[in-house]
Amino acid sequence: MKVTTDRFRQTALEELANARTQKFLQILPLRLSARRQEAYGSFSDPEAAHRLGQAIRGEALARLPELLETFERNALANGAKIFWAADSQAANRYIADLARSKGARYVTKGKSMITEELGLNDHLAQCGISAWETDLGEFIAQLLEKPPFHIVGPAINIPVEQIRDIFLEKGVLDQPTLDPVTLGRAARRFLRDKFRDLQMGITGVNIAVAETGTVINVENEGNIRFNKSAPKTLVCVMSLEKVVPTLADALHQLRVLCRSATGQAAGAYISLDSGPKKADETDGPEELHIVILDNGRSAIYQNRHTREALRCIRCGACLNACPVYGKVGGYPYGWAYSGPMGQVLTPALRGLAETGDLIRACTLCHRCKTICPAGIDHPGLLLHYRNKDVQADPLLQGRGADPRERLAHRLFALAGSRYTYWRIFSKVLSRAARLFGKGAMLRGLGPLGRGWFLSRDLPAPAKKSFHERWRQRKD
Amino acid sequence: MVLNAREEILARLKSAPPASVAGRPELPPAREMALDAGQLAARFEEQLAAQGGIAMHAADETALLAKLEEILRQESVSRAMAATDAVLAPLALESWGQQVGIEIVTPSAFSDRDGYTRAVFDQVQAGITGADFAVAESGTLVLVHDELQPRLVSLAPLVHIAVVPRARIVPTYEAAILSLFDGRRPSQVTLITGPSMTADIQATPFKGMHGPQKLFVLLLG
Ligand code: SF4
Repeated sequence: MKVTTDRFRQTALEELANARTQKFLQILPLRLSARRQEAYGSFSDPEAAHRLGQAIRGEALARLPELLETFERNALANGAKIFWAADSQAANRYIADLARSKGARYVTKGKSMITEELGLNDHLAQCGISAWETDLGEFIAQLLEKPPFHIVGPAINIPVEQIRDIFLEKGVLDQPTLDPVTLGRAARRFLRDKFRDLQMGITGVNIAVAETGTVINVENEGNIRFNKSAPKTLVCVMSLEKVVPTLADALHQLRVLCRSATGQAAGAYISLDSGPKKADETDGPEELHIVILDNGRSAIYQNRHTREALRCIRCGACLNACPVYGKVGGYPYGWAYSGPMGQVLTPALRGLAETGDLIRACTLCHRCKTICPAGIDHPGLLLHYRNKDVQADPLLQGRGADPRERLAHRLFALAGSRYTYWRIFSKVLSRAARLFGKGAMLRGLGPLGRGWFLSRDLPAPAKKSFHERWRQRKD
Repeated sequence: MVLNAREEILARLKSAPPASVAGRPELPPAREMALDAGQLAARFEEQLAAQGGIAMHAADETALLAKLEEILRQESVSRAMAATDAVLAPLALESWGQQVGIEIVTPSAFSDRDGYTRAVFDQVQAGITGADFAVAESGTLVLVHDELQPRLVSLAPLVHIAVVPRARIVPTYEAAILSLFDGRRPSQVTLITGPSMTADIQATPFKGMHGPQKLFVLLLG
């Protein structure tokens, strides 16, 4: 997948002009938000359940190194193999080598944002191994080479005509049809052949349980279960923050995850794997490989603010709550993670050099923070990133402030330092404002502040300042 | 190289400034804890129905087999695969199938894994399994996979029929799952709530995306 985080503005403008995107954005987020709200009602105390979920994530992060060691010990005792991957290259190489050693010509994948982060499909393709996405939405997005539009419905915005055409082109479909169900059935048949003869399956991990060494996946389609049941080799890729202390914690997290993601009390299938199949079992993997991925996370973990991004459980609730996502959809965010989730994760994982627009595409309305079952303070984190960006923070590759902006701030500070300066400054400004202002609003200052006014406007200043009126009144 | 990555990652994590662990809020007991057996069964059915599963009652084994036959005929099943777990074993479904004229095969009938895989993917129209628990809070079946309960039987065929003794209906996940991990580690436990489903094309929902299109749960007793 191409990373296009630096094209946020252009892509957002395209999507704002795309009638189909706009149509879906008017339905999907609202519907999912309403379902989530209703599903939370089944808790005996929804607020306490919400806070318990957040506390579990908080504790998981606070105890992260210890929990990872416990998880590793128990997973090994269960008979799983553990590979620690420092970065995406290491993880990709391990998975490709494993596939080759098993003689797999192709592999299948369950929906996982983590393998999108790795760019695993591209790497496997370079090694001559094809990787098939098996979640219907991901399968379509993969054929069309598109990033996910929404974490719950990666291709939900794609017109059926386009799906028909790509299915015909790739040999998934023989007879043209525009019926979504018939198209889905064609994908079922196509992928079923892959599952039947599968050598190696790859999935992500929703939750890893330290005390039992168990990996847990949640889904609705059953493709992850096929990936975990049919082949002799199974690879589960987990980012290192997925671990929680106990099985009881995992059960509660499942409750909030399913309700937050789709408004279901439970996804259709939740599978808990503790090690490979036992010798006398008929199916299941003979080898279970768990890849624990760092990819910059242990560095993020050093900082108390950025660390917070690692709480995320990828439920997607914040996308549905976000007024910006609700207008521009998932594509502008340019990578595996979209919406507020992407705005806090992508800068942490990829640095600020190419994510400057991402951290600024936020009105700080706090809806994501309120709804987040993991307890992330997105607006606080975005302010932290903005600060690091203008400070040119080396760790996060901040770009430093634009020289014009810095000059403007310096002049502003100077103007405010003496009353006489301030009077002159406000006079000049209100003149300029009258010159450039249109009606009651100020939408620019000519060549000055072009970038500033791109997404902001101000009420035009009054003819007389407060001080002037005050003086007149006293006379 | 492999060891290094592990040590480096853990060392970095351990060198980070520590954070305090905040207390956890008290959670009142789940609503399902206050239900009696009849109410629990009703809650299970209602939650299962919300996800598109169908629950049926059978007072005894005879009634159960009658229901089973009815479902298999209605779904035009001529060949089904049945697990041999503790719930199904006493029903001796293979010989029952011969009597009613529906072929029932079991996973152990196949000498190798490939033969079994082909059969469960392509040669049967339904999978029949027992279930270890039914969880009322979300209408969920709990299946513990082992030599008697292979994974694909409840997944690959288009119809899944599960049999659960009514006494196995529990209020919450905790009541089912924590005991399963007490001193043992089942290689896989699956929670099933409804048939396979998707709404990935134009938000049009349909069932049977990859797994079963229909899920029947027979409550026995
Ligand atoms: S940031 Fe919070 S609300 Fe958003 S996907 Fe992650 S856990 Fe869910």
